[in-house]
Amino acid sequence: MEILRVENLSFRYPNGEGESDFALSDINFSVSRGEFVVLCGVSGCGKTTLLRLIKKECAPAGEKSGRIFYNGVPLEDTENAGEIGFVGQNPECGIVTDKVWHELAFGLENMGLSTDAIRRRVGETASFFGIQSIFRKKTDELSGGQKQLLNLASVMVMGPKLLLLDEPTSRLDPIAAADFISTLQKLNRETGLSIILSEHRLEEVLPTADRVILMENGKILICDAPRKIGERLAEENSRHPMMRAMPSAVRIYRGLDMRGESPLTVREGRDFLLNNFSGAARSDKDFCGGEAKEIKEAKEKESERTAENKKSRRDFGVLAAEMKNVWFRYGRALPDVLRGVSFDVRRGEAFCILGGNGVGKTTALNVLAGLDRAYRGSVSVNGKRISEYRGASLYRENLAYLPQDTSALFVKDTVIEDLCEIFSMAGVKKSDREALAAELAKKAGLSHLLRRHPYDVSGGEMQRLALCKVLISKPKILLLDEPTIGLDAFSKDELRNIIKGLKSDGVAVLAVTHDAEFAAECADRCALFFDGEILSVAEPSLFFSENNFYTTAANRIARDIWKDAVTCGEVVRRCKEYCGS
Amino acid sequence: MRREKVKKALVCLAFSILIPTLVTVGYLAFGERRYAWIILSATVLFVASFFLYFEKTESKTGRLLVIASMTALSCVGRVVFAPIPGFKPVTAITVICAIYFGAEAGFMTGAMSALISNLYFGQGPWTPFQMFGWGIIGFFAGLLSERLKKGKAFLLLYALFSGVLYSLIMDVWTVLWADGFFNLSRYAAASLSALPFTAVYVVSNAVFLLIGLKPVGKVLERIKTKYNL
Amino acid sequence: MKAFKNFHPVSLAVYFLSVLTVLMFTKNPVLQAEALVGAALFLGALQGVGTLLSDAPFYLALFAMTALTNPLFSHNGVTPLFFMNGNPVTLEALLYGVSLAATVIGALILCRCFCDVMTSDKILYLAMAASPKFSLVLSMALRFIPMLVKRFHRVERAQRTMGLYSGKSVSDRVKFHVRVFLSMIPWTLENAMETSASMRARGYGKYIKRAEKIKNGKNVKNVKCEKKKRTNFSLFKFTPRDAALIFVCLLSFGISLLGEAFFSVGFEYYPRLGALRLTAWSAAVYAVFGAVTFMPFLIEVKEALVWKYCVSKI
Repeated sequence: MEILRVENLSFRYPNGEGESDFALSDINFSVSRGEFVVLCGVSGCGKTTLLRLIKKECAPAGEKSGRIFYNGVPLEDTENAGEIGFVGQNPECGIVTDKVWHELAFGLENMGLSTDAIRRRVGETASFFGIQSIFRKKTDELSGGQKQLLNLASVMVMGPKLLLLDEPTSRLDPIAAADFISTLQKLNRETGLSIILSEHRLEEVLPTADRVILMENGKILICDAPRKIGERLAEENSRHPMMRAMPSAVRIYRGLDMRGESPLTVREGRDFLLNNFSGAARSDKDFCGGEAKEIKEAKEKESERTAENKKSRRDFGVLAAEMKNVWFRYGRALPDVLRGVSFDVRRGEAFCILGGNGVGKTTALNVLAGLDRAYRGSVSVNGKRISEYRGASLYRENLAYLPQDTSALFVKDTVIEDLCEIFSMAGVKKSDREALAAELAKKAGLSHLLRRHPYDVSGGEMQRLALCKVLISKPKILLLDEPTIGLDAFSKDELRNIIKGLKSDGVAVLAVTHDAEFAAECADRCALFFDGEILSVAEPSLFFSENNFYTTAANRIARDIWKDAVTCGEVVRRCKEYCGS
Repeated sequence: MRREKVKKALVCLAFSILIPTLVTVGYLAFGERRYAWIILSATVLFVASFFLYFEKTESKTGRLLVIASMTALSCVGRVVFAPIPGFKPVTAITVICAIYFGAEAGFMTGAMSALISNLYFGQGPWTPFQMFGWGIIGFFAGLLSERLKKGKAFLLLYALFSGVLYSLIMDVWTVLWADGFFNLSRYAAASLSALPFTAVYVVSNAVFLLIGLKPVGKVLERIKTKYNL
Repeated sequence: MKAFKNFHPVSLAVYFLSVLTVLMFTKNPVLQAEALVGAALFLGALQGVGTLLSDAPFYLALFAMTALTNPLFSHNGVTPLFFMNGNPVTLEALLYGVSLAATVIGALILCRCFCDVMTSDKILYLAMAASPKFSLVLSMALRFIPMLVKRFHRVERAQRTMGLYSGKSVSDRVKFHVRVFLSMIPWTLENAMETSASMRARGYGKYIKRAEKIKNGKNVKNVKCEKKKRTNFSLFKFTPRDAALIFVCLLSFGISLLGEAFFSVGFEYYPRLGALRLTAWSAAVYAVFGAVTFMPFLIEVKEALVWKYCVSKI
């Protein structure tokens, strides 16, 4: 039985003109009761508009044609706002009140329920979602993941039959995001709730989805089961940008040009490899004593390389930044956040620090950027102790810092004003500033954004603008705090290219991230940060092959055969090599 | 439903009998402090009745949120600039909000800023007067919105006026309460000792109004049309 | 030490208002002394004796200043002690200054207790009784404030790493902060608009829309039976204990006021000091008001003893 049917839906925003400006055109699909539908597509493809049109209270203003039926009734005639739930992208914005219990009760208050009824339903919901422990807390004290869970719970408390989620995990770290997705799966499985979820991180979501709708330019490109999506996408366009967003198993499967239903999970992907390529492992074992040999080889390679590196470093002598036995805490009575952190970054290399939430990774960056001061140990940037920099000299042609929330870098009404400000600081004449800014934007391919308000650009564009802005001062070392949060696969690729370019220019890049895939693909060295310390430093293939849990999905799929293959591309390459031999 | 009726009856009873009785008995009981008592009661009743009026009129969700966020901003401003005594953007934000969203919104923003920021700075007998003071500054700004939008001179004049009005309101009650009549020498002493603060206060009003009116006004204007408030 | 905090917000508000009003407006030294000592003990119980002692110098200075400067402003009274600039400094004015100082300090201490006890959620609850919409706006503002403070520091740091703040002078610092502060306003408003979408998504404002429909005369009957008013939920429960507290507070407030007005509880400093007369009524007033002012302290002490007893049993 279908719960939602969308017929010939087209939509145009008030400022759009002509055929091409339809945000949505000719959308047709239906969702049956209890179905879990995933909506995906590159950013700007109309996912958000579609979801908001289905939730009529959030519908944007504009010209709409076509019809939407909820339970067979036209959407306009439905009365109860609680029937269709909506959770938005930003966990901060969804929260209305200052206390968790009040937030949960808010929707029920609007429905006009009595105090006793509210008490019961709030209690029951809080128990289901496991948020009893934060029930009396202030909403502000919650972590991002808890906030998004609260948003979900305070929608679910109203008892919706259909739940719409617009990229709910895009601002969460991978661990909180996985938790959130598993809660959605639990809801779908245990309560039979119908869900439409728009997502750009498909690794966890796709295996449990019943159907995937892939949108492009306001149209539905593909609407099919998750196992078939890889093949269908390849039929449409084998180099489609969405291919990069698919789960690793699908990417490896498609990379080998296999036909038919693809594996989705790590387990299925591994079985697929073992069934078809286990010979590779055996032949390796036969020749050189199995995986131990692999590792040994890699280690040898690594030690060779470090020796080489050391040599080359001594040759260049370019140490970009260094921390030696650094200790830090936020207050006298508070526990230590950094407990003897030591590491160094060289010019021309990308160094990734990985680690869980709240272990002090960002604090380490702040100390290095001179925002917080260590109480023991030494921090030096470009060969000079950080305390010796006076005024803003540390930040001029020296060190640049891209914070996690890139919007914090923009304070003016338009992007170009913000860029001009940096030039003014560098002493550029007023008449030249705009031209310089325009030229810079043109080089980065961002000219169309210059006159926009900083808050009117997408997450990926915002990040590129921010990078543009911090790079004006020609830094020798660039610090990145969680650069991949909120980025779709396409923007991640862009970021990787930018980092590559910076490296070849001799800039040292230090990134703090949760994203193992990203680190595996762009770092020269990786390190694990835990309990206020840096635990291991190694190049990515060695680093991830030594880890059992903290590693990439591609590595989990392939580790039984090739332990040091950490990216999808690498796995596909080895598979092809094996086939060729 | 029954509870609703009981509540309504209680409110009626309070307004028609309890409050007048309370004010009268206080007037009789407090001897020389009766004028202070009357002023305090009148202020509290004025502010309360404004809130009741707000309950009945203001309806758009977006407008409520504009008031809430402007209030939050002015409180944050008070916290952020706390190291410099007297330097606070509360009045400026109230005035700007009033200019673009009307006198009632201005009153609410001012009054609520006082109530909430006192949660951080300490409540006291001064709270109702602060609420009234900032509220009324916002209210007048709403009435004078057209002129305030146009002339810089008028804006500066209003910055001065609001600074003086605010300290006037805050001190009059103290003097009346202490002496039972308007003791000019005590009032002069109080104003004089507060003069540096008042001066900083007027300056901060002027600074924030001059820098803030245009850009913030543009934002408010944009929001107003974009979300049809 | 949380026993007194657990009363219902309405009872607590009645308590503070009744004691504070009597303290602020009476000139009777007995009542003032009771209120001052009661408030000090209350604060001690809430925040520990340490706070009380560390704040003592401030209160003493304030006390001295208020008491000693009053004769300079007020020349009433019939017992001149000496003359200054041709004006008499009178005994009555000096004593009145002492009484003023006691009241001011008592009120300050009581207000600190108020801030400690009446947390924001209790104030919200009280505001709800007057105007639910006002209370909701308050709650939203309270939710925004910590978010904005965090945002402020984030922007401030981000701007600093771009070298926009050299930190040379105070005016530089102020300019920098003003700039960051102003930049937050559009951000806040944009976020608020998204929040308003979230409110509407959860059915806020539906009721108002229906009311509009009635005005337009569409489908009147049908709409009316569907119409449901927004309710207000809170975690507070009103118990007999709360009713008892309200009753005692109102009783003490009533007899104090009536006593001041009609039954010789009033006290005058000018033109000459009055006399404290002990009548049945005034004795009752002193007893009941005293009980009310010391009650929070006694409740806290009792609670502490109960805990100690329980712990020793375990």
